Amino acid sequence: MRNRKSLLERFRGKSETGQERLDRIKAEILAEDAETPSGKTSRRSFLSKLGIGATLAAIAGQTYAFLRSLKPNVLYEEPQRFKVGAPDLFGEGGKFLEDKRLFVFRQGKTFYAISASCTHLGCTVKMQKLNQPKKVKVRGREFEEQHEFHCPCHGSKYYGDGTNYAGPAPRSLDYFKLEVSPEDGQLIVDMSQRVGQDFRLTV
Amino acid sequence: MATKRSTWEKITWTWRPASEREAGDSIVRNFLLHWFPAKVTRESLSWSYSFWLGTITAVLFFILTVTGVVLMFLYVPSVERAYLSVKDLEYTVSFGWFLRGLHRISAHLMVAVVFLHMVRVFLTGAYKNGAAFNQNRPLNWIVGVALLLATLLLSFTGYLLPWDQLAFWAITVGTNIASAAPVVGDAIRFVLLGGNTIEQGTLIRFYVLHCFFLPLLVIVLFSYHMWRVRKDGGLACVDRLALEQKREKSPPIKSKTYSLLGVASGMTVHVETSLVDEDKHAVQSSPNLTRRLFLVTMLTTAAASVLTLIFRAPLEEAANPAVTPNPAKAPWYFLWLQELVTDTTFTIAGFTINGALVGGIIIPGLLVAAALAWPYFDKSTVRSVGVWFAKERRKQNLIFLLIVLAILILTVIGTYLRGPYWNFYWPWESWPEAPRRF
Repeated sequence: MRNRKSLLERFRGKSETGQERLDRIKAEILAEDAETPSGKTSRRSFLSKLGIGATLAAIAGQTYAFLRSLKPNVLYEEPQRFKVGAPDLFGEGGKFLEDKRLFVFRQGKTFYAISASCTHLGCTVKMQKLNQPKKVKVRGREFEEQHEFHCPCHGSKYYGDGTNYAGPAPRSLDYFKLEVSPEDGQLIVDMSQRVGQDFRLTV
Repeated sequence: MATKRSTWEKITWTWRPASEREAGDSIVRNFLLHWFPAKVTRESLSWSYSFWLGTITAVLFFILTVTGVVLMFLYVPSVERAYLSVKDLEYTVSFGWFLRGLHRISAHLMVAVVFLHMVRVFLTGAYKNGAAFNQNRPLNWIVGVALLLATLLLSFTGYLLPWDQLAFWAITVGTNIASAAPVVGDAIRFVLLGGNTIEQGTLIRFYVLHCFFLPLLVIVLFSYHMWRVRKDGGLACVDRLALEQKREKSPPIKSKTYSLLGVASGMTVHVETSLVDEDKHAVQSSPNLTRRLFLVTMLTTAAASVLTLIFRAPLEEAANPAVTPNPAKAPWYFLWLQELVTDTTFTIAGFTINGALVGGIIIPGLLVAAALAWPYFDKSTVRSVGVWFAKERRKQNLIFLLIVLAILILTVIGTYLRGPYWNFYWPWESWPEAPRRF
């Protein structure tokens, strides 16, 4: 009962209409602005800007935190640099390492590694042994090739040194850096480091 | 008023409307606000009538949705990876601990605030129809009870996802209570778990329920809940104002009658203008409602964020079905049930009462049924609609409060006073060295 009565009294006191209230607030703002010297910010507008600013800063902070969390700090992918075994395990010619999508070639004492990932859209290219050696001329250099790389997806073709000559592939196959491990003498491929087609590791 | 607005004023004009028309427009024409009335009574806006508990719940649900979507990018719902991905969240992902902590704290808060909202609605008799036309507040109360249950299920399904010992055993205890239901109990548990044990099948079920079905259910029910509030003429305190107004013998309320040219059945449709004298009791929603809405949103977000900084989310060892922690406890909001299960398990004359059935199924079942049906049994008059502790409803309020108190006490006992083998320990008593592994 007490509650109800005091409520009634409260509302009787506040009998201004909505429009009157808006007008009053507007008048208050104008009065405050009039008191404030030009070029200076009134307290009301300063506080409102402070409030809006703090809100925006808070939203920006939370948004940044949420978005930043989506950029991984740790990856669980296979390492890009890995051992592929002792050099003696590789016979003359090319060997396909299926799980790494990689060809490792040996010519006597020299080694090099070519990516099996087609430069068009990333399909795995196939090494095609040629029935008879074929003479090709690449960038002014002539050599005799025993094999070629053919991509099964869209028919890109590469010479034996990985240079593209047919199909949609935009550039030649990647060569990766090869090293010898100082610990156990195994070959190390570093797929994060691309090297030129002339790269040869001599063991 | 042909003065040119600056860009800033154009953006913020709805916050500082210059006329009643602008104030009304800014609500009706705004996509996010159109479901609010253009004008709202001062009483509905007051902090002390509703405590804005429903709004706080909605804000928490919003926070949970935003953080939840980000978490979905980072969490893997597989038995092998779930625990590791949560561990990564906690230790390697930038702000991952905050994201997870905020999600967890907001979930706990939501369970608590939804419950408080229900208590408020009961104590104010706000589930009762007032004097206005076409009200169906009892139905909205039922929707509210459904929303409470959906909230509990949301929290419960989320509890398993970290796949640590805490999660695994809490869900073990929780789902075993379900299996105590007569006849269908085992079938329910089998379907819920996707098998007989908590395994990959359970994890993916809980994950999909947690991230898709239950949130969707809550959004649908919440939308209807808000729509009904509008249809029922706003908060129940408005009905009280209308009643007071009648007693004041104010001039009759204007009402319009529109003819629908015979398109609709019946000759005319009465358009009930608002029951209360708008000029006297109501203010424009913009900026009066929007300002408070904004304030509640900000304060809720700030409070949840600060709590996140204070209370770090726990992460125990990875789930191990072979090692039961002692004691194994359900999530805190189900601990009153677990406690009830213990207290209702006893033997009289060689006959053992199944506590899981009585305390885990029958009593909570009866409570939910009573809650659903109560609006139809409450025969108090229209004078106690929207009034805190109305004299007429003293007895039922008292019983309701006693039930609430009992639930709270059982929760506190289950949470703080139960040790190994679910034995009773005062907080100052140390637990014995129970074998941790068996």
